[in-house]
Amino acid sequence: MMSLISIAGLSVRFATRSECVRAVDTVDLEIARGDHLALIGESGCGKTVLGMAVMGLLPENALIRGTIRYRERDLLQAEDAEMQRIRGKEIAMIMQNTASSLNPVIPVGIQVSEPILLHRILPAKAVQAEAIRLLGAMGFDLPERAACRYPHEFSGGMQERILVAIALACRPDIVIADEPTSGLDAEVKSQILHLIKKQMADRTLLLITHDLGTARFLCTRVAVMYAGEIVEEGPAHDLLSLPLHPYTQGLLASLPSAGLHPIPGMSPSPSHLPDGCRFCSRCPSATARCSTEHPRMSVRGARRVRCFHYA
Amino acid sequence: MLELSSVMKYYEKGFFRRHRTTAIDNVSLSVRKGETLGLVGESGSGKTTLGRIALRLIEPSSGMVRFDGIKVTTLSRSALRQLRPRMQIVFQDPDTALNPRMTVHDCVAEPLTIWHLAGPREIEDRIPELLELVGLQPDLAARFPFEISGGQKQRVALARVLALNPEFIVADEPTAALDLSVQAQILGLLKDIQQKRNLTLLFISHDLQVIEKMSDTIAVMHAGKIVERGRTPEIFSNPQNPYTARLVAAARASEAWFGKNPR
Amino acid sequence: MSRKMILRVSVAVLCVYFVIAICAPLFTPFGPAEISGKPLQPPGNDHLLGTNDLGQDIFCQLVYGARITLLFGFCSALLSVLISTTVGIVIGYYGGFVDEFVSRCIDILVPIPMFPLLIVLTAFFSPGVLQISLLMGVLGSIHGIRIIRSQVLSLAQTSFVEGARAIGASDFHIMSRHILPNVMPVVMVKFVSQSQHLLVMGVGLSFIGLWDTTTVDWGTMIQNSYSSGGMALGLWWWLLPPGIAVIGISLALAMIGYSFEEKFNPRVGVNRI
Repeated sequence: MMSLISIAGLSVRFATRSECVRAVDTVDLEIARGDHLALIGESGCGKTVLGMAVMGLLPENALIRGTIRYRERDLLQAEDAEMQRIRGKEIAMIMQNTASSLNPVIPVGIQVSEPILLHRILPAKAVQAEAIRLLGAMGFDLPERAACRYPHEFSGGMQERILVAIALACRPDIVIADEPTSGLDAEVKSQILHLIKKQMADRTLLLITHDLGTARFLCTRVAVMYAGEIVEEGPAHDLLSLPLHPYTQGLLASLPSAGLHPIPGMSPSPSHLPDGCRFCSRCPSATARCSTEHPRMSVRGARRVRCFHYA
Repeated sequence: MLELSSVMKYYEKGFFRRHRTTAIDNVSLSVRKGETLGLVGESGSGKTTLGRIALRLIEPSSGMVRFDGIKVTTLSRSALRQLRPRMQIVFQDPDTALNPRMTVHDCVAEPLTIWHLAGPREIEDRIPELLELVGLQPDLAARFPFEISGGQKQRVALARVLALNPEFIVADEPTAALDLSVQAQILGLLKDIQQKRNLTLLFISHDLQVIEKMSDTIAVMHAGKIVERGRTPEIFSNPQNPYTARLVAAARASEAWFGKNPR
Repeated sequence: MSRKMILRVSVAVLCVYFVIAICAPLFTPFGPAEISGKPLQPPGNDHLLGTNDLGQDIFCQLVYGARITLLFGFCSALLSVLISTTVGIVIGYYGGFVDEFVSRCIDILVPIPMFPLLIVLTAFFSPGVLQISLLMGVLGSIHGIRIIRSQVLSLAQTSFVEGARAIGASDFHIMSRHILPNVMPVVMVKFVSQSQHLLVMGVGLSFIGLWDTTTVDWGTMIQNSYSSGGMALGLWWWLLPPGIAVIGISLALAMIGYSFEEKFNPRVGVNRI
C-alpha cells in the first residue's frame, strides 16, 4: 500500500537550561492512504509531540532530526509558507483542549469559516453557507443560529463538534485527532466517536489517545508509544487481543475490566532515560540483557515489537 | 457510619433570587461502617457536590447529614472543625490539590501540626512512615508538587489525609486525571489501605467499570437524584432503572472489545 | 542585554543608591546646608558637582537628599503593600457583606487621582514628611487591594485550600500558610512598582513645595534650581543631577519589577507533551 506519510528516524529534543528532554526518539512510522492509525501511550510518552511534528507546530527550542515524507516532500524541511498551505488544507488537526482551542470572543461560524477563507477554497460569499452546512453535518440542529453563538454557550460535546468542523472545513486528506474525547461524558463521548468515525470513512486518520477503547473503536492499526519510542505496532484487533510487548500487556491488564492489575513503578523521565530497554525496570520478564542493550524493532508478520523476547 | 437524609441543594441566581438550579434533589443515602459506596453519575449529576455536602464542606440547603450518629449539619463551626480529622476527602485533580509552594514534607506534616498530634521530632519520624504507606520513597519529601508526577501527587494527597487516621474518606474521582496504569496503582493502594484500616469509603466516579471493582454497594445519580441503589453484583446483573441499564450496557460493551483476559 | 543582566544591573544601581544614602557622611566633605564655597561654581576639584546659588555643594545635597527621598518612597510603599495585602486577603477570603462593602468603597475611591488629592490635603493640613508618608501609604494601598483580592478569590476556590479546610485548618492558618505565600509574587511586584510610583510622587510633592521646604531633598533641589534661575542660566550641574537621580532610581525599580514578574512564574519545566 502506498504510504501517504512516511516518518523515518524522527527525534525531537527540547533543550532547557539544565537538561535535554528527549521527547521523541528515533521513530519510524508509515501511514498509508486510508489508514486509521491510533498512537497510544500515556502522558509524557511523546505522542502529542509526534503529532505536532507532523503539523510543523513544534516550538522554537525543539531540536528535530529525521524526515517526515509527505507527497514527495520532507515536511521538516518545508518552508513556513508551504507548511501553512498544507496545514488545514491537506493535513488538519483536531486539538486536544476545547476550552483553549476555541477563541471565546469570536462567534462559532466565523471560526469554522476561517480555514476556508485562509486557504481560499471558495469565494467569500459562499463561505458562510459552507460553514453552516458543515455545522449541520456535525449534528447541530439549527446551524444558522449556532453559527452566531459563542463557544461558551455550548456544552463540551458540542464544542468538540465545532473543533471537528473546523478541522474538516477544507476537506483535508489527513486528520490528526489529539484526544478528541477527553473530559466528555460516556454518552457524549460515544456520539463524538461515531461522528468522527463517519467523517473519517474516506480519509486518513492519525488518532492520538491514551484511551484504549477509543483507539479500538476508531482505528484499524495501533502503535504503542512508551518513553518516546514506538514499542509495538500492528492491526488493532490483533494487538489489543494478543499484545506482544510487556508494556502493552501491562496496559491491558490494568484496565478495570481486566482486574486493575497495576504496572509497578513509573515511566522514566524524558530527561533521564536509562540505557537498555526503557521498560526494563517495570517489566515482569526482564532479563540481564534488557538493562544493558537497547532493543530494536523486530518484525512478526504484520506486527512490529521492540523487545528482546521477539528478536 | 454516614447517613444523608432528604438533602437538597440549590443555587440561586438573580437579584431577587429568582433563578433556582437544583443541584441535589432530595437525596437520602447511607453507608455502613467498613463498606465502600460507589456513587456513579455523569458530570453535572451532582455527585461531586454530594460528596462535599457529606463532609459539610458545602452547606446543604436543607436536609440532614449524620456521621456516626452525630448531626453534622447542626454543629457549630468549631465543633465541626473538631470532627474534621475523622472524615476526609481526596480530590480529583492532583495538580491543584497540593499547595504549589509547600514541599511534600510540609504538605504531609500540616495536619499533624494543626492538630498537635506530634511534636517536631515525632513528625520527622512519622513522615517517612506515611510516605511509605502510600508507596512513595521517603526522599521525595523535599520535592515540590511541580517536580513530581500526577500519580505521586495523588499519593501525597492520600498520605496527608491518612495522617489524621480518619474513619471515613470521600474519594472524589481520584483517578480521573491519571493515566491508565497509574490508575490501577492508586486504586489498588486505596483498596489496600481501606482493608488495613477498616475505612468507610464513599467512592465517586463517572466510570462504572472502576466503581464495579471498588465498591460493595452502588448508588446511581442522575440530574441530582438517586435513581437506583443496591449491591454491586445486583446492579450489574439486574439494573432496574433505564438510566442504570444504559450505563451498565455501555460498560459491558467496552469491556467486550478487549476480551476477557489479554494475558 | 539579557534579562538576567538587566536585573543584575538594576539591583546594583539600587544598592549603590542605598549605600550612598546610608553612608552619606563618608562621601561628603560638607553638610547639605553648609555654605562651603562660592555660589554657582561649575563642577571642580572641591565640589564634585559644583555649587548652587547659595554656595552649597550640590553633590552633598544630592547624597543627603537621597536619604529622605528614598526613606520616604520605600516606607510609604511598604505601608501601602502591608495594608493592601492584609485587607485584600481578609476580604477575598471571607467574602460576603464585608467584601461587598469594601469593594464598593474602593470602586468609589479608585478613580480619584492621588496626586491632586495629596496636593489638596497637604496644602490644607501642612503635615510633616512622616504624616505625608502615612497618607500616601494609605491612599496607595487602594488599588493594590483590588489586585490582591482577585488573586485571593481565585486561590480560595482551589482544591488545596478546600483540602486545608477539610483537614480542619483554622481560617487564620489557611490565610497565612496557604493564601499568603501564593499571593507573595503579586505582592512583591506591587511593592516594587509602588516604591517607584510613590517615590516619584514624593519628589513631585516636594517640588511643588508642599512640605518642609527647608529640608534638602531632590524635589526641593529641583525646585530651587528652577526658581532661582538655574535653567535660564544654563547651569546644568545645578539643574540636572537630582532629576537624573530620580530617573535613575525609577528605571532601576521598574526593571526590577519587570524581572520579578517573570521570575515568579511558578514552573520552569519544558514539558510540553
